[in-house]
Amino acid sequence: MIIQRYAENALRIIFGTKIDMEVHERVRRTFFLLNSLHRPDIIDIIPSFCSCMVIYEDNLTSYDTLTALLNERLADLSAVDMPPPQLHEIPVHYGGDHGPDLSFVAKHSQLSVAEVIEIHGAEIYTVFTVGFTPGFPYLGTLDERIASPRLETPRTRIPAGSVGIAQRQTGIYPFESPAGWQIIGRTDVRLFDTEKPPYSLMRIGDKVRFIEEH
Amino acid sequence: MTPAITVRNPGLLSLIVDLGRTGFGAVGVPSSSALDRYACQALYCLLGFPAAPVLEVMGPRFALQFNTDIVCAITGAKVKAFLDDAPLRPWASFQAKKGSLLRVKEITEGFRYYIGFAGKIKAETVMGSCTTNLECRFGGLNGAPLRSGDILQLEESRERETNVIPLNLIPPMNSPHILRITEGPEADSFTADSRRRFWEKGSHELFTVSTKLNRTGIRLEGAPLAFKPEAPKSIVSEGIVPGTVQIPGDGLPIIMLHERTIGGYARVAVVARADQDRLAHLKANDLVCFEKISLEEGESLWKEKQQLIAKLQSTDS
Repeated sequence: MIIQRYAENALRIIFGTKIDMEVHERVRRTFFLLNSLHRPDIIDIIPSFCSCMVIYEDNLTSYDTLTALLNERLADLSAVDMPPPQLHEIPVHYGGDHGPDLSFVAKHSQLSVAEVIEIHGAEIYTVFTVGFTPGFPYLGTLDERIASPRLETPRTRIPAGSVGIAQRQTGIYPFESPAGWQIIGRTDVRLFDTEKPPYSLMRIGDKVRFIEEH
Repeated sequence: MTPAITVRNPGLLSLIVDLGRTGFGAVGVPSSSALDRYACQALYCLLGFPAAPVLEVMGPRFALQFNTDIVCAITGAKVKAFLDDAPLRPWASFQAKKGSLLRVKEITEGFRYYIGFAGKIKAETVMGSCTTNLECRFGGLNGAPLRSGDILQLEESRERETNVIPLNLIPPMNSPHILRITEGPEADSFTADSRRRFWEKGSHELFTVSTKLNRTGIRLEGAPLAFKPEAPKSIVSEGIVPGTVQIPGDGLPIIMLHERTIGGYARVAVVARADQDRLAHLKANDLVCFEKISLEEGESLWKEKQQLIAKLQSTDS
């Protein structure tokens, strides 16, 4: 674990440099531990693939004070009280208007459309982080056989529920938004509810399985 | 009847904003704060409604009609504004009478201006804030920009003495914009020469604000930064703070504002907090240059800025 300062009022707790389940587990534990402290000097915690970023209130604390606290509290991550990961089953309409890039992905992978759908649905994915737009889960790890590049020119607007893939990741766009990933399908499941806590259907560490809907 | 105001012309883009939603980074919810937070705080001081929703407006021709007597104020970009035919002083509050028309004819300095009232605009509160998340369409007025004919209801409105913000508390907003920055996590991904040209005091490599700018980020044009041959062109996506300067594969900076919690491009620098309000006033073709400072200098500039905010509050009679 390395702690590095980032800007005037944030720091990064870094556990690795690559997407990796062991690194992810340490990020997740750190996030839930820091979250449970309810410290007024911690304004926000943003866990991602390899690190936890902490934004702090520098009128209440300092980088040195917080670093000392983190070094002490994070020394042992074995006994963190955490919610169990939830498994979300996501029905998907693949291809056609719902997934305009499915045929590109098939061609790029030199597989049939049916094989791409089967491979995409075979994996139980992990939510590594949530971001880009509210509730967007970055899911890994996508089978290498269907890994595809991002679009050269992102689309300016895609419908809510669009399921995309990019390199070794897949994800779901909770809102109508711009999108740079290959869109292979769409789900009717609502991923973000602005009116009801905890707002996002998914959080770090949850599991996801896609089920083809005809 | 609830006091109300009718939007007659929304200008280029007007939104309901406040100081933003915080604490939801783990589910990807950005703050969507007013871009010029200082101007927003000046409104709060003039009007006596801290943390209330206010209007953030871009472009001239904005107009609204008062259906009630109310005190109103404009801060942010300096504008030629009129209440019926009477010119209004920038960064000041004024008494509007029922039936009168507020018109903004021209912007003389800066880009975004802020309009508030001695009352609370009725808006959708989402996750503790009324600010508009324009991309995902929530907060504000159904998450949408204001349109002609929209009616803004005012709650808890009250009478208030008019006041002005002293000239020495109004910051400059014109091009060229000199932005002080601290070093970002991936600064080492760039060659020593391009880092020096980018941020060294006295080097003053000028960038031009491109037409690709919105509330999410501002793209700059100019001499691209050179990645070291061994440095990756993108990073494993990680948390970002507002003001982060990202460098995508083409080497041209993007300044991130308050609409993203994570990013996947190399973070070469972060605009000092004391200079972040200035980002609200960067418009296409403006000139920008960067000047590197230490984190300690950043902290002391921020303390000075907070003292300015305290002075604003002392003008609150």
